[in-house]
Amino acid sequence: MSAAPAAISVGEMLRRHGISRRGFIKYCTATASALALPPWMGPAMAAQLRDGPRPSVIYLSFQECTGCFESLTCSFAPTIEDLMFDVISLDYDDTLMAAAGDAAGSALAAAMRDNHGKYILVVDGSIPTGASGACCTAGGRTAEAILREAAAGAAAIVAVGTCAAFGGIPFADPNPTGAWPVSAIIPERPIVNVSGCPPIAEVITGTLLQLVTTGKLPDLDGHGRPKAYFGNNIHDRCYRRPFYDQGKFAKSFDDEGARSGWCLYELGCKGPTTFNACATIKWNGGTSFPIESGHGCLGCSEPNFWDKGSFYAALDTPDWGKAGESTGTQVVELTGGAVAAGLVLGVASAGTSRLRQHHSAGSGNKPGAEGE
Amino acid sequence: MNRLAAIAVRLESLPGAASPLPPPAPAGRGNCVDAILSELAGLLERLDTHQVAATLDLRSLPMSPADRAELQRVLGPGELRATLVASGESTIVDTAIPGIWWTRHHDATGTLTAELLEVTRIPPILVNDPGELPAASAALRALIAARQRAAS
Repeated sequence: MSAAPAAISVGEMLRRHGISRRGFIKYCTATASALALPPWMGPAMAAQLRDGPRPSVIYLSFQECTGCFESLTCSFAPTIEDLMFDVISLDYDDTLMAAAGDAAGSALAAAMRDNHGKYILVVDGSIPTGASGACCTAGGRTAEAILREAAAGAAAIVAVGTCAAFGGIPFADPNPTGAWPVSAIIPERPIVNVSGCPPIAEVITGTLLQLVTTGKLPDLDGHGRPKAYFGNNIHDRCYRRPFYDQGKFAKSFDDEGARSGWCLYELGCKGPTTFNACATIKWNGGTSFPIESGHGCLGCSEPNFWDKGSFYAALDTPDWGKAGESTGTQVVELTGGAVAAGLVLGVASAGTSRLRQHHSAGSGNKPGAEGE
Repeated sequence: MNRLAAIAVRLESLPGAASPLPPPAPAGRGNCVDAILSELAGLLERLDTHQVAATLDLRSLPMSPADRAELQRVLGPGELRATLVASGESTIVDTAIPGIWWTRHHDATGTLTAELLEVTRIPPILVNDPGELPAASAALRALIAARQRAAS
């Protein structure tokens, strides 16, 4: 976990381990194929990595559950060991590293200093700004302060997971910690959002490999996500799609339709509005994905997925949000109706304002600085 | 089977080589084979005209085993078959259509890790890297010297 190995090229290291040039091209080709990268990426990856130093990567974890990192460590191809030992120099990761306390802080400082302007910063988790950032601190410093310092020297930032990309569950109403996505704190730097709760392991490693290989940001969609993985919605690539086209829908999780593999749209599947690679790359080494296991898509790679109503309501179910809840408790009468209607409108307005706030956060608007 | 041999036939190509006019696809198969063949035709023309190589990753395409077998049958076997042993075995096979190669990479456990259709004059993995040649010359000189020392 020290910065020193970054000086050794990948090719040199492989030669020392007795791996030939052809063996390395083959490894890169297989990796590109497993990650659904374009076929030309394999030889390009081999050529780029063979002679260059291993790119430095700094991985920071903030307000998160470690699910994203769990996903990454379960990557089948390449494994996290492949990434760490063959392709990148993982110079700081407080989950994996043995060092703690001042030694860990020193390792982070050394990695940022030695690779200033060249390292890739991976951020996992949202950044709480409420209570002066006290909800997430390390070494006596707030997450926001650590992020701002690390981002200043990064060549590129990869926001891993929906929390880092869009705020995720901490950002969900009522957002008690004042959480924000990375793009809201650091709007001025290049950021790649790899969303998902968690993201697919191969999507994380593929994005990192593409970055370190080409030295360029991949083509991104409107939410800053790599088009290679987030360019299609789940619905269009779902093996149950033919049943949707035929109008065959499961009505409950144990009915004949569910057992026959019919479309889960009416059970709340968010596949039509969710862009991710679950239906193509799948999970656990291509074994399956949630819809294949019989449950609808939750839409976890989309902004504000936690605040979009029930996971089990069909997408065409009207969502009245707070206003809908209020009409159930507020009695709107003709007499005094203006007051009651005003209450409802006020709540609805607050809900709309909240949505606007979510939207602007996703667009990278800067919150009020409450860091150190 | 003996009676089959009695049926008069006219050979239009050598046995084992791809027929210039493959028979129609069997019923029930998807149409991706025709799409892939069309794409290969375009890539082959680009290789001929602009010397631009290209690769199709077969694992990224929604092909059934029947589609794969059909594609393999239509492209047919070529004259050249290379085996690479490096971190597992790979086969690089020339198809009956010059310029189209069918490459399969296996890892050390024998698992298929990549399957490609390469449209190129020769797959790059077969060609020596010029950067390796100085070290190769030095190694061969050292071997010769060692043999001479042993003989003297």
